[in-house]
Amino acid sequence: MKKETTKSAKAIRTRNNVLIHILLAVLAFIWVFPVLWVIMTSFRAEKGSYVSTFFPKAFTLDNYIKLFTDTTILNFPKMFMNTLVIAIFSCLLSTFFVLSAAYCLSRMRFKMRKPYMNMAMILGLFPGFMSMVAVYFILKAVGLTEGSLIRLALILCYSGGAALGFQIAKGFFDTTPYAIDEAAMIDGCTRWQVFTKITLPLSKPIIIYTILTSFISPWVDFIFAKVICRANADQYTVAIGLWKMLEKEYIDNWYTCFAAGAVLISIPIAILFLKLQKYYVNGMTGAVKG
Amino acid sequence: MRQTWKRRLSVLLAAVLLLGAVGCSGGGAAAGGKEQVRLMVWSPSEDQSKDSGEWLQTCCNNFAALHPEWDITFVYGVADEATAATTVSQDAEASADVFLYSNDTITTLTDAKALAKFGGKYADEIASFTSQALLDSVTLDGYLYGVPFTTNTWYMYYDKSVFTEEDVKSLDAMLEKGVVSFPFTNSWYLPAFYFANGCTLFGDGTQEELGVDFGGENAVEVTNYLVDLIANPNFVVDADGSGMAGLRDGSINAIFTGSWDSASIKEILGDNMGAAALPAFTLNGESKQMLAYAGSKAVGVNAHAENMVAAVELAVYLGSAEAQRLHYELRSVIPSNTDLLEDENVKNDPVVIAQNDTFDRTSILQPFVSKMGNCWSPVENMGKAIRNGSTTHDNAAEQTAAMNDAMNSDGIS
Repeated sequence: MKKETTKSAKAIRTRNNVLIHILLAVLAFIWVFPVLWVIMTSFRAEKGSYVSTFFPKAFTLDNYIKLFTDTTILNFPKMFMNTLVIAIFSCLLSTFFVLSAAYCLSRMRFKMRKPYMNMAMILGLFPGFMSMVAVYFILKAVGLTEGSLIRLALILCYSGGAALGFQIAKGFFDTTPYAIDEAAMIDGCTRWQVFTKITLPLSKPIIIYTILTSFISPWVDFIFAKVICRANADQYTVAIGLWKMLEKEYIDNWYTCFAAGAVLISIPIAILFLKLQKYYVNGMTGAVKG
Repeated sequence: MRQTWKRRLSVLLAAVLLLGAVGCSGGGAAAGGKEQVRLMVWSPSEDQSKDSGEWLQTCCNNFAALHPEWDITFVYGVADEATAATTVSQDAEASADVFLYSNDTITTLTDAKALAKFGGKYADEIASFTSQALLDSVTLDGYLYGVPFTTNTWYMYYDKSVFTEEDVKSLDAMLEKGVVSFPFTNSWYLPAFYFANGCTLFGDGTQEELGVDFGGENAVEVTNYLVDLIANPNFVVDADGSGMAGLRDGSINAIFTGSWDSASIKEILGDNMGAAALPAFTLNGESKQMLAYAGSKAVGVNAHAENMVAAVELAVYLGSAEAQRLHYELRSVIPSNTDLLEDENVKNDPVVIAQNDTFDRTSILQPFVSKMGNCWSPVENMGKAIRNGSTTHDNAAEQTAAMNDAMNSDGIS
């Protein structure tokens, strides 16, 4: 009798597990499906934007080769480099801004601290592109909307507002005991030295997290790049280039290359994530604690 | 850690300073004698690509050679005809002096006060080599706003091994012999059937106050015809490139599209590629001619151009016979210059014949009054409803009336 009940409990557990795993497998398939499709399209040998079969009839690397060799109409390598440069510099700048702002708000007490945090909170509720037109005209007035200065303009755009996104990093810094800072200061450290020698080495996870998020936003941005680049094709970022490939004139010839481009732009992000994954998780949990 | 941070920071600062310095060091050195002219020119990227012969650069250099009195610096930018209007109207002052645009965007440009009028000897010169219909396509309130250089419309491509030249005059004959694909859910194409049976948009296309007439008995007849058409197994809806894919695998024998697809179709069908104006269809025993939307692409001059004379001269040159011929040779852009169309090579090109025949005979000028903006979605929805089977013979009258109401309304009631 007793044996039977344990058996049936076990059976129930197994059954539940099976059901749950089937459900998870279905969900995972649905989730991976579009990604898989893009990857397969990028290797598809048949031309055109429409296919009647899910699996390509023939595979080829030509789409990738075309993307990097056929540069007279849509110069993908150039766009890729533009985006990479912009993303790297924006990433460095905004990481610095975010960490500095977070450190100040976590460690120092000053009159504007509360008002600043409230203001950041409220401003953060609005989407960034609301200010797009104003940003364009300001950049134009400063003379940053022509030629290679567009790259600088975009870097400024992406990193300018970074100091408003300090919340998570501040939460992390709050978890490091203030006593450590005090000890350092008794030993003669300045605030800057405390920040660089004590706080930062203790905060690797959150630095990584900040780097990741501030790299991705310029890397995938379309709307600011479109408004600021306008007709300067040599300054286009990949987002604009990929969008162009789907226009009526190009779609039939460039559709599979579009998929190839989409795969390629996901590579740097994927590498960053894989390399920094363990810190990423730590960073997020740290923030929750704070 | 500190060392790395410092290094990173200094690299960053150095880069920012460097970029700033580069920005300041530009700027004008002036030379004596000739007048310094800076012209910013925008065109689609194919016009500037090495692979297709750098049409724009060649033309601009020729233009500079024709005008030794100016020392011209050209600044090139990329904006295709369809989207140039949006980019220019975003900030006309910082846009190209000369650009190419498609005529259905003309009101976007004039509303932004971004388009210069052509008058006097320039207008006469343009009129001397352009047909009246084409001139009308870039004329607004009596003013000429550009130099048309090609017509812009859609027509039919077909497989010559399936259809004869006689077949392609009638849609019904075609449907008996092969599979025809039509962009049924695209409102740039679908109205062709309604125009065929006497429906009109804004009177002659410019009388905004007359509104849209897509209602009444004649429109209902067309809706009923379309319901039957979609049930025909030889009629396939072309959406998201399925027509082109069908042509490629041989399951479709005729599609409706424009000159932008002609290179791909040539590659697929080779010598069997045929192009023709739109066919007629039989409605209640009568033959009705389908009518496409037609427009043009033109060279426009920015009203804010600093050197207006040079900009207008360049625009006229880019629309001239010489530039059009080069455009045709390099990129198969179909010329519109009346003299050039008499040229033997041009005259016998099937795509040129089809496009110009469509423009002259089987099209209406696409209205560019601002209320035209209300006309796209209702027609698209009608196409989708017929395809999905929610519009049937039973409710055709009702659905057509609803479409007509929607086309005549701003969507705010």
